[in-house]
Amino acid sequence: MHKKLLILFFLLSFLLRPCVALANGFEQLRRNSAGIKTVQARFVQKKSMKILAKPLISEGRFFYASPDSFRWEYLKPLRSVVLSGKGVTKRYIISGGKMAEDKSGGVKAMGIVLGEITNWMSGKFDQNPSFKTALQEGRNTLITLTPVEQHMAGMIEKIEISVVRKTMVVKSVKIIEDKNTATLINFSNVEINKSINASIFQDVE
Amino acid sequence: MKSLRLLVLTVLLLASCSTLPVIHPAAPRPEVKFPACPVCPSPFLKTPHRLVHIIEVRVAGKAQGAVIGVTLIHPSAQFVSCAIMTAEGITLFEAEATPGLKIIRALPPFDSRDFARNMIEDIKLIFLAPEGQVAAKGILADGAAICRWQTTSAEFVDVVAGPQETFEITRYAASGRRQRRIKLKHGADNFYQHIELTAQDAFDYSLFMTLVESEPVKSEPQTNNRGLQDNEKNCGR
Repeated sequence: MHKKLLILFFLLSFLLRPCVALANGFEQLRRNSAGIKTVQARFVQKKSMKILAKPLISEGRFFYASPDSFRWEYLKPLRSVVLSGKGVTKRYIISGGKMAEDKSGGVKAMGIVLGEITNWMSGKFDQNPSFKTALQEGRNTLITLTPVEQHMAGMIEKIEISVVRKTMVVKSVKIIEDKNTATLINFSNVEINKSINASIFQDVE
Repeated sequence: MKSLRLLVLTVLLLASCSTLPVIHPAAPRPEVKFPACPVCPSPFLKTPHRLVHIIEVRVAGKAQGAVIGVTLIHPSAQFVSCAIMTAEGITLFEAEATPGLKIIRALPPFDSRDFARNMIEDIKLIFLAPEGQVAAKGILADGAAICRWQTTSAEFVDVVAGPQETFEITRYAASGRRQRRIKLKHGADNFYQHIELTAQDAFDYSLFMTLVESEPVKSEPQTNNRGLQDNEKNCGR
């Protein structure tokens, strides 16, 4: 009986070890990112689909200020700006040469997606219960998010976030919709805790 | 009594076709602005192409948003594949007609079969020569060259060559009611630099399309294995 308990103890400690390590890993990421108050970066987005022979490339810039302000802006080919702060998200899109507010129903969903990326930029990777998270350490830390809800599973197969281990900066985000369709966002010129004018989160132009 | 019925029928037929513009014979006339075209105006794709457009949507003149549209066309096979995505790269809609309609992905509000069918029909109207026979050929009152096709589904499609390499494609229902008007403006490479589509449907809307990139395609069409195959033989209504 005593021997059986001992085996069970070893078995349980072996099984639980990755979970503890995973929780510690995310806790460590959160601790390391706690000092991040602002982030600004440029990004290049590559959309791959079966219908496209080569990826469709978009370029833009990103701003984040703690706790919840962000600006996600595409400069080309289709200019659009998503502004979020104090729980309100608005999307603006170029129309007839001017930026006009997008009133379509997709704004909310877009706010959720981009808000999620903002969470990742500030080290919060395991905050959304809609995703199962996995962490893989290497030269860069690779975080894989897999949707747990069926309706999202039909839209997104998984999300891979690559974080530079040394600086805790998100290097890339890859959203895999299915085996033929993926969006890869590579961040560059990342600047942490550099002052950002408040108008960046309010003015569209 | 018989002649009265015939008269009523004739009046109804004439009334139903009243919106179709009058086509004049293409005899050389000194007062016309543009010389008569010896062949039918044809801005349509003749070889396989892939095109990416920014599509701005307006309903009742008000901007509703903009999306990125990708279109793959193989004219000889009547193969059409298309995708709509947001600036952020989220695929909202993907479908192909081989010619049977197959919806690969459709998120709200693009998830109705009617939307998919109309979208493929609009793409065919813009990029592919009409299926059917030339019913009339000549010039309009302003001298622009026109060819009128009667399609296999008894609709009419007018293709008009305008000034400065512009084209206008108009589809009419069998009753003569205008359903779509497309204006094409030639760019550096092809006729699809600027496309303006006006739809008179259950609700009126306009699409303003600006070309981002265009490239010829060499390979044969590859159908997508995903999605649901429609039982219909073609996308026609």
